[in-house]
Amino acid sequence: MTYAQVRQLSGKITSTEDGTGLPGASVIFKGTNIGSNADADGNFKMTVPDDGILVVSFVGYLSQEIAIGNKTKFDIKLSADTRQLAEVVVTAFGIEREKKALGYSVQEVKGSALTESRSTNVANGLSGKIAGVRIQSNGGPGSGSTIQIRGSSSISGNNQPLVVIDGVPMEQSASKTLGGGISEINPDNIKEMSVLKGPNAAALYGSRAANGVILITTKNGQGTKGIGVEFNSNVTFERPWIKPDFQNIYGGGNGYRTWYNDGWSGSITDPLQTQQYRAVYDSKYPLAGSAGTDESWGAPMDGRLVRQWWTGNDVAPLTPQPNNWEEYWNTGQTINNSVALSGGNDKGFFRLALGRVDQKGIMYYNDFNRTNFRINSGYNLTKNLNITMSGEYIKSGADNRNYTSGSQFIWSHRHISWDRLRDYETYNDVHNQRAVAGKPADNDPPNWQHTYFTNPYFMERNLPFSNEKDRLLGNIALNYKILPSLSLMVRTGTDLWSDTRINVSNFARVRNGNSTPGRFSEEVLRSQETNSDFIFTYNKDFSTDFSTNIQFGGINRTNYYKRNYFYVGELVVDGIYNASNSVPSLNTIQSSIRKSEVQSLFAAANFGYRNMLFLDLTARNDWSSTLPSNDRSYFYPSASVSAVVTDMLNVQSDILTFAKVRASLAQVGNDADPYQLAQTFESSGSWNGSLPKFAESVSIANSSLKPEITTGLELGADMRFFRGKVGLDFTYYEQTTRNQILGVEISKASGYDRRILNAGEITNKGIELTLSGTPIKLDNGFAWNVSLNYARNRNKVVELAEGLTTYILASQRGMTSEARVGQPYGTFYGVAFERAPDGQIVYGSNGLPTLQPTQQIIGNIQPDWTGGMLNTFTYKGITLTALVDVRMGGDIFDEGTGTGRWTGQYAETALGREEGVIGKGVQKITAADGSVSYEPNTVIVTANQMYRYNNPRNYHEAAIFDASYVKLRELSVGYNIPSSLIKKLHLQSAKLSLVGRNVWMIFKNTPHVDPEFDSKGGNAQGFGYGELPSSRSIGVNLNLSF
Amino acid sequence: MALATLLSISSCTEDFDAINTNPNDPTTIGAQYLLPTGIESAVDRYWGARTRFERINIDAAELYVQHFTRNIYSNEGDNYEVSPALVANNWKAFYNDALLNFQRIIIQSGPEGKSPNANYEGVALVMRSWVFSLLTDMYGAIPYSEALAGTSESPVYTPKYDSMEEVYAGLLNDLKVANEKLSVSGRGISGDILYEGDILKWKKFANSLRLRLANRQAAKKPAESKAIMAEILGDPAKYPIFTSNADNAILKCTTVLPSNNEWNQVMVQDGRTDWNISSTLADKMNALGDTRITVYANPNKDGKYQGHPNGLPDAIATSYLATSSTIGSYFLRADAPEVIMTYAELNLILAEAAFDGDITGDAKTYFEKGITASFSQYNLPVPATYFATVGAVTKAKIMEQKWIALFGQGIEAWIEKRRTGLPVFPAADSRAVFANDGVLPTRFVYPNSEYSLNQTNVEAGVALNGGPNTMQTKLWWAE
Repeated sequence: MTYAQVRQLSGKITSTEDGTGLPGASVIFKGTNIGSNADADGNFKMTVPDDGILVVSFVGYLSQEIAIGNKTKFDIKLSADTRQLAEVVVTAFGIEREKKALGYSVQEVKGSALTESRSTNVANGLSGKIAGVRIQSNGGPGSGSTIQIRGSSSISGNNQPLVVIDGVPMEQSASKTLGGGISEINPDNIKEMSVLKGPNAAALYGSRAANGVILITTKNGQGTKGIGVEFNSNVTFERPWIKPDFQNIYGGGNGYRTWYNDGWSGSITDPLQTQQYRAVYDSKYPLAGSAGTDESWGAPMDGRLVRQWWTGNDVAPLTPQPNNWEEYWNTGQTINNSVALSGGNDKGFFRLALGRVDQKGIMYYNDFNRTNFRINSGYNLTKNLNITMSGEYIKSGADNRNYTSGSQFIWSHRHISWDRLRDYETYNDVHNQRAVAGKPADNDPPNWQHTYFTNPYFMERNLPFSNEKDRLLGNIALNYKILPSLSLMVRTGTDLWSDTRINVSNFARVRNGNSTPGRFSEEVLRSQETNSDFIFTYNKDFSTDFSTNIQFGGINRTNYYKRNYFYVGELVVDGIYNASNSVPSLNTIQSSIRKSEVQSLFAAANFGYRNMLFLDLTARNDWSSTLPSNDRSYFYPSASVSAVVTDMLNVQSDILTFAKVRASLAQVGNDADPYQLAQTFESSGSWNGSLPKFAESVSIANSSLKPEITTGLELGADMRFFRGKVGLDFTYYEQTTRNQILGVEISKASGYDRRILNAGEITNKGIELTLSGTPIKLDNGFAWNVSLNYARNRNKVVELAEGLTTYILASQRGMTSEARVGQPYGTFYGVAFERAPDGQIVYGSNGLPTLQPTQQIIGNIQPDWTGGMLNTFTYKGITLTALVDVRMGGDIFDEGTGTGRWTGQYAETALGREEGVIGKGVQKITAADGSVSYEPNTVIVTANQMYRYNNPRNYHEAAIFDASYVKLRELSVGYNIPSSLIKKLHLQSAKLSLVGRNVWMIFKNTPHVDPEFDSKGGNAQGFGYGELPSSRSIGVNLNLSF
Repeated sequence: MALATLLSISSCTEDFDAINTNPNDPTTIGAQYLLPTGIESAVDRYWGARTRFERINIDAAELYVQHFTRNIYSNEGDNYEVSPALVANNWKAFYNDALLNFQRIIIQSGPEGKSPNANYEGVALVMRSWVFSLLTDMYGAIPYSEALAGTSESPVYTPKYDSMEEVYAGLLNDLKVANEKLSVSGRGISGDILYEGDILKWKKFANSLRLRLANRQAAKKPAESKAIMAEILGDPAKYPIFTSNADNAILKCTTVLPSNNEWNQVMVQDGRTDWNISSTLADKMNALGDTRITVYANPNKDGKYQGHPNGLPDAIATSYLATSSTIGSYFLRADAPEVIMTYAELNLILAEAAFDGDITGDAKTYFEKGITASFSQYNLPVPATYFATVGAVTKAKIMEQKWIALFGQGIEAWIEKRRTGLPVFPAADSRAVFANDGVLPTRFVYPNSEYSLNQTNVEAGVALNGGPNTMQTKLWWAE
């Protein structure tokens, strides 16, 4: 009979190369959570319950496994991993695997890289760092980002990757304004993030992994010696980044007149005002105000004395306001503090973390806050049984997050001072407003005009869109080691959130003599996803040559969503936002429920031969409630191989140190949204607040839906040269999605808008390259590391449904973004100017552009390629990093720029206002014999007539721009406080860093905006109209651990 | 435990059908709930459409017929520019929101349907016919015989286009059938927001509408039209028609959102003040001493009813804000009616038919009855000298009076202007700038969505119209 022998172990871990201690190296008792980290000199101590194996590892060194036997004292020497092969990455189900064993590409970002770059939304920190991952961020506190890995595979559905935290999915909602999912994570809690890019890497996560998986592993305190305290504090300031190039010559209004009368272009009758007006504008100008025209075709801002919104019955000089852009925006501010307490011993470990973010937006009166409470813990109940938990409560919300875009610099008067408008209360007494005979006088807050707009600062202050969200996510897992080679994990995890959104949409007021009441809506959402799974793992090395790891498991996933909504069309007493304070017949109520369930069984097997040839096989079967009973079950397999060529061929070279090739083929199946199988009728409100109305659903249901299948092929090579100084990773992939479940638009004359059906085939092919190296490494400690990544994706819609050639992804102003057969996903179709054979615009005899009679392809949302360059310079304790983020090609429909040109806001529109302009292009001359020739256009037209052809509502092409950019996305300087000082302060480490984001726009092709915007989100990319500008930020970060 | 989980998986999918049963929306519904949806969406679209760039009446038809003019953004209709969204989204709304629901009522209330009720069937048939007539009169050839069959047993997703001639023949027959289906002694209906379940009025509307369509095609199909008119007028008991303004087909909007008049929503609730009375209309009515202008327009600051010309660039148009009359307050009330067809229009139709010799009867009598009905619609007496000022009945006079009477019913007025070329408008203001080569739009172009989704058929439809898909190809009934 043998029994467990608890023993004390100690030792020192040193580097083989120079014999120095390796502080922080970890020692883990294999197969358990028991572990320790080496101290500053490389010494460690730990208690183990039994004989076994120690796994010793340290970043940049080859890991070792050491049998304990009878030893209690260890002298362990680790060799530097010049080939950096022992990189362990987290893969599906949180399994840590050596990168070289993988037959597909996985890229990792360490938590530290995210905390330093400090975007409140963790996703934004990925931008430019990982080949093939494209992040479309949005401004605004707490906003979400569109994440896309390797292009769009789904025509209509979700193209966002699946986000998994500590093994359990977190629901991703791609809301631009509200964020949700990954944007709610506190980066300080992240140990590492792995991006599994295609279906290959993700076969085991099922349906939703077709777009890739972002695996987040949180810090859990494991390996902490005694008690550790981490503290991080960050303050970031931001200002809007790209300022449009405004004209500062002409004021607001039209017809060369700028005059505020009543905010409505009303006629001037009062004798004093007539006299003031005529002193500036002679009799050829009509006696009327110009404030009702929200454009800038007004008078020269030459100091002439005119009435303005703030002058009341007086006049004041009309002067340029070149800095009114700067005046408009607030200096945004983010304060982010987190503190974590961790501890561990041979029995267990824990980490408690508290984080708080307070954000003030660059738009005044917009804010966001988030508090994250996280606990990770594990305990060894017996030698063979341990339990872990990961849990987080996130409280987030805002008093107001209303402002996401605005027309304040599009439909605007260039002579407006926004400082003054923010101070509108000062002008309550002098401000003139319209009074229509026989009606109550207007009582809008003072503003530069009242025809179309309300003072934006009043709106933001008094009409907030607030929310309060509670989210609880976490899981509990039980691991049982049945045999040394067989273990079982049983786990259940949930992600539950509830959000209350209150949107005040109107205040009681009189405008143009008409009263409108106060109005608001309240929406309460509740969503829950629960995953329960079990996994058997069998792990055995049959000989020194063969290793085997087999897993088998099952998962049950349930989703539940509930929405309760009411809208109060008329408040009895304004300002009291309660449902009962309402006129009942004007209330609207709505509610809905969505439920679904998926059950799955899966198996995975990994085989290794001599640690150089690896084979992975996976298989999964899902049963989904959203599909018809006969097609409810679907199966999908994957296979991948990885071969370390240099080992197999025994290549010993200083040039090619290491080479691995990999290949994989995988399928992922996907189900439908719930309730698409039966035709229904939907409530359409009521008539006169009393008679209920219903309408037939304009979406044709389909009772014979099938699951959709994505197939991915991936080939890759990983090579290291010059003893690991240069690394090159290359991936080629092809991904085909078939039988997509689509709401396919059909001719409206069929009576219906769309049909739900299995249709189509869409392919994505692409390459990804990562080149990393150390160009300079000097003896004095200076080093320059650089990592370059490049990705290009070619996307094609191969087939839709029978008789169907296009699928409309989004439309705005009649301009559509479509998935059309034979064209890439997201091709823009719209109204285009007629062009001569040499490409010049053809003008009519009136000197104005002419149009092509039918809609044309005018752009595409897909970039030609994306890439990034991450430079890290280190010298002693100082680290400087610079990240350049590149997007080349792809188009955007920038309605804001087109409109702003039409309304005379931009510098180019100031040219030729007095003398007229000649459109650059040609006139088409048709001779008597019918032959056509082109001559330069020479017809002079007025400037605003010409710029009207930028109106993106009718001339779509005028608002299409190339969205390329090269940005210095991040620039940071970090300073590790020297260990001598640290010891005096009783610290383990201390780091101070200064981080700038969006530091320099190195290149762009858009005239007035940052081309990175996405007003609609999801698959409807490439649209924008006065979007909240991206911001440039600078922050200070202090990280201390005790 | 693991085994238990495993075993439970295979048995649990039994609940899946229940889980995937929609808890939010019913799979069947009574006709009384579909009827108000269809009526409201059709009439609201026709009368205004609240959404900017989609306002088919006030940003297209009412400007084309020079009832309205714009004081800003002449490119929103006044200069004949049309946004792609206007043609696409109205097309979609008429088919998806209005016609689909009428079609569903016809199917489920028909003799073979789930709940037969000939009166629902007849009402839906009348409304469906009216909406189809709007579509064909705006676009030309349209999907009709194969339309609305997306969920039929043999579904049609790409319906063919029928020529206007075929559509008219079909509608004239549908309306005859509707009159036969509708029975005052039949089962009652509810959800009727147009006539509150008064089946006799529905019969009157069906027959009056049939007269409108017969008259419209009279120059192209004289024999057929004459026969239809004779059939209706010859048997008032079987074919009742409007006999007073009380029979008018109007949607009586209410003050409760969103059942308001669309103009109120746009011009009052949304605060848009972009429109004035066109000088074409104001000048004509002032010249005739027509007191209806006191309802159509509000007096300007000088107490006068004055308009300004159409098609003026913004800088010029805005200068008229001070002097031009705004749209009459009567029409801007939240509960102002949205008018489909009136007793006045019916009489003017009959006046034209009599004048053209399509029916027997005195053109002058119908003409004066029509004018009188139009005044009384606004509770106005006909001014004593009015008939004298208007003068002898001519086709031009009939069409001019119809144009005045159709104020608000822009689409109807636009159809009649395109059909007859009447009334003749004064020459355009020299400062006006028009698109479409200065030609009054003859139709709307087919929406881009049809080219994306139903290309072969829409191209055949263009061919049926006998001209390119532009706003200059004349429609079938153009005389």
